[in-house]
Amino acid sequence: MNIFSEIYGTYFRIAAKLLENELTNEKTVRETVQREGFRDSVLFLPQKLIPGSEDWGLFSRTPDGNLKRITKNPPVKVLTKLQKMWLKAKLSNPRIRLFMDDETLSVLAKRLADIPPLYRREQFRITDRFTNSDDFCNEQYIINFRTVLEAVKHRKIVYIEFVSGHGKRMSGKFVLLKMEYSPKNDKFRVYCYLLRNDRVKSSGIINIGRITNIVDTGRVFRTPVLIDDYFSSRKCSSPAVIRVTTARNGVERFMLEFASYEKHTVRNLETGEYTVELWYDQQDETELLIRLLSFGPVIEILGPQHLRQQAKLRIKRQAELLEKYGEKK
Amino acid sequence: MAGFSELIKNFDKTRDYVRDFFIYGCKVRSDFDRKSIRTYGDEKRRVESWMGDCMRYDDSVRGRSVSISVDSGHIPENPLYNAYYSKSFTDNDIRLHFLITDILHDGKSRTLKEIVDVLNIDYEQLFDEQTVRNKLREYVDEGIIISKKQGKTLYYSLTSDNADSFLQDFKGIDDALKFFSETQQFGIIGNSIFKMLGLKNDLFFIKHNYIIHTLEDILLPEILTAMDEKRYVSFRTFSEKRRKKGDGIGTETQVVPMQLLVSVQTGRRYLAAYIPTLKRFSAFRLDYMKTVKKGGICENYDALKAKFDCNISHCFGVSFGMRREIGTVTQMKITLFVDEENEPYILDRLEREKRCCTLEKSGEHLYTLTADVFDPNELMHWAKTFIGRIVRIEGGADSVRDRFYSDIARMNRMYGGDENEHIQ
Repeated sequence: MNIFSEIYGTYFRIAAKLLENELTNEKTVRETVQREGFRDSVLFLPQKLIPGSEDWGLFSRTPDGNLKRITKNPPVKVLTKLQKMWLKAKLSNPRIRLFMDDETLSVLAKRLADIPPLYRREQFRITDRFTNSDDFCNEQYIINFRTVLEAVKHRKIVYIEFVSGHGKRMSGKFVLLKMEYSPKNDKFRVYCYLLRNDRVKSSGIINIGRITNIVDTGRVFRTPVLIDDYFSSRKCSSPAVIRVTTARNGVERFMLEFASYEKHTVRNLETGEYTVELWYDQQDETELLIRLLSFGPVIEILGPQHLRQQAKLRIKRQAELLEKYGEKK
Repeated sequence: MAGFSELIKNFDKTRDYVRDFFIYGCKVRSDFDRKSIRTYGDEKRRVESWMGDCMRYDDSVRGRSVSISVDSGHIPENPLYNAYYSKSFTDNDIRLHFLITDILHDGKSRTLKEIVDVLNIDYEQLFDEQTVRNKLREYVDEGIIISKKQGKTLYYSLTSDNADSFLQDFKGIDDALKFFSETQQFGIIGNSIFKMLGLKNDLFFIKHNYIIHTLEDILLPEILTAMDEKRYVSFRTFSEKRRKKGDGIGTETQVVPMQLLVSVQTGRRYLAAYIPTLKRFSAFRLDYMKTVKKGGICENYDALKAKFDCNISHCFGVSFGMRREIGTVTQMKITLFVDEENEPYILDRLEREKRCCTLEKSGEHLYTLTADVFDPNELMHWAKTFIGRIVRIEGGADSVRDRFYSDIARMNRMYGGDENEHIQ
């Protein structure tokens, strides 16, 4: 049993897809490879599928030039032991109750009774997760989550009442776009547009755990919405520009910690320092700032000016505090 | 580039390249000095082929640099999963895969001889018994085929656990697959299920998403089994320094595996383990690790695990410091300025992020965090996210406190305090 096995591979999957129909043709083979394969697969894979000198022998050519599979049935889609072990492990994850009801879970557990879990939850320890995670076992939370999920799937317009991050009671009609999960916060949120008179007024994000009431209006938002437009509306206008030094293994630490950001890096050949541009969501600016400050003098925020200014104010205040309380050495 | 293939045999080598492209970005061909130019070219082309639009190119005086640039919070699927979907195979492998499963499609059990006969007669495919036997044995291990002995003869049949029937029988499993496929642990396995079913994740994005972790998942099954069986594991480690020096051998270490430690903020995962030769616990980075192998049974595993469970409560992150088995811990106190009336969110932050620290009000607008920890440095990295509020640091090592004071002085100058200091 190994995750790195050809039976899960892209080539096997494409072959399985093409073998679903008794007859196919070269055009379909090439299109399927183009669509389902890696970027260059079209250079390597079609000749393995289409009868010729290099092929695997999975198809034979018919008199009319089509391709006939050598198998008698569409390929089976059996779950491997590894896949079942993974599913079994997920049964002990409380988040699974957000998707499946208790009765279904109980039947699934019986079906997998003879399968050992791939891992036990206690074999992993998350060292730095925030403790105020969503309550995934709360029945009302589960109901709200499922309502949100259905609204996202079908672009339903929903009326939501919730408490904002600043403690304000908010309400309105929203169209919900996608859900977001943060392993750091252990929370689900939903990307949304606030509607006024059925038109998009502004973009937002709502914590599922802060929803106090959610009602399906029975209506669907039919105007096409591009998720990229939503992200663009929330993106910083200019990236954070950070100079990263080599001190204290700074480059490796920084690059890894900020690996989840879209970034562009340039290395100074003489000093070995890196200049990194990071693109971030505007609402995460404070989070980004404090994470940058935690690197101390190993990095320097070069821009944008307002971000550098915020850093400067905090550092100045810090120096004053140490002075005031007589801690400065 | 004759003989180039998109598929790979060796996951470890590719893991190194993908990591370098992804983490560092601006490396050029001459930086990859550990292998030949040809190897670099092949690896680069492969990664380009898997990653598609996620690749970025920049031209500089040193040459063209290649990087993987992904806003991993805004992607429906981890593109690095493609590395797992690229295992090379032989013509016989793929032929036998589809033929054997086709023969057993009707649910009936067959002997090896019957299967070979059907292959030869019905499908006109000549395979010797040994080749088919090996493939059947492999698929029994994978759980695709079930073998049962009747008398002295083994009978083979297909497992009845079909992915389509799971989708039909268990309402909500498709959405669960979409979510768990993009989250830890082993999202790649969930992804392989819904790829088989032709599903796409159209529901979830993952924030604070360290997609690079998937490359380390290759190591985990062996470690997890060793934990279950209370065994030693051995592996080789390749730190960044060693890799830069072109060290292809690394350091061999044998340990007793205790727990896998995952940081959702720093992008690192570790194996926490007991090192018998040093008689201490330590944490090993998974991204520096290769070739994990289970060893013999550890007779005192339970006793070590009990000690570990006690010690881990004194780790702010993953470091056990330099102490021995049950080492001494250092008490540390950090006092912060908080205007609780106007800044209640700071107290909320402290509560949710303080981990093993205790928090108490120690004066007007003053709150003190106290913790007994093995490594005060780890606490200080987090404490520095409160820059602008730290009033006092007590305990810990002198060097830790001195470094903090000197860091603040340097940063104050760097950002235009009393004098300008550009970082050196």
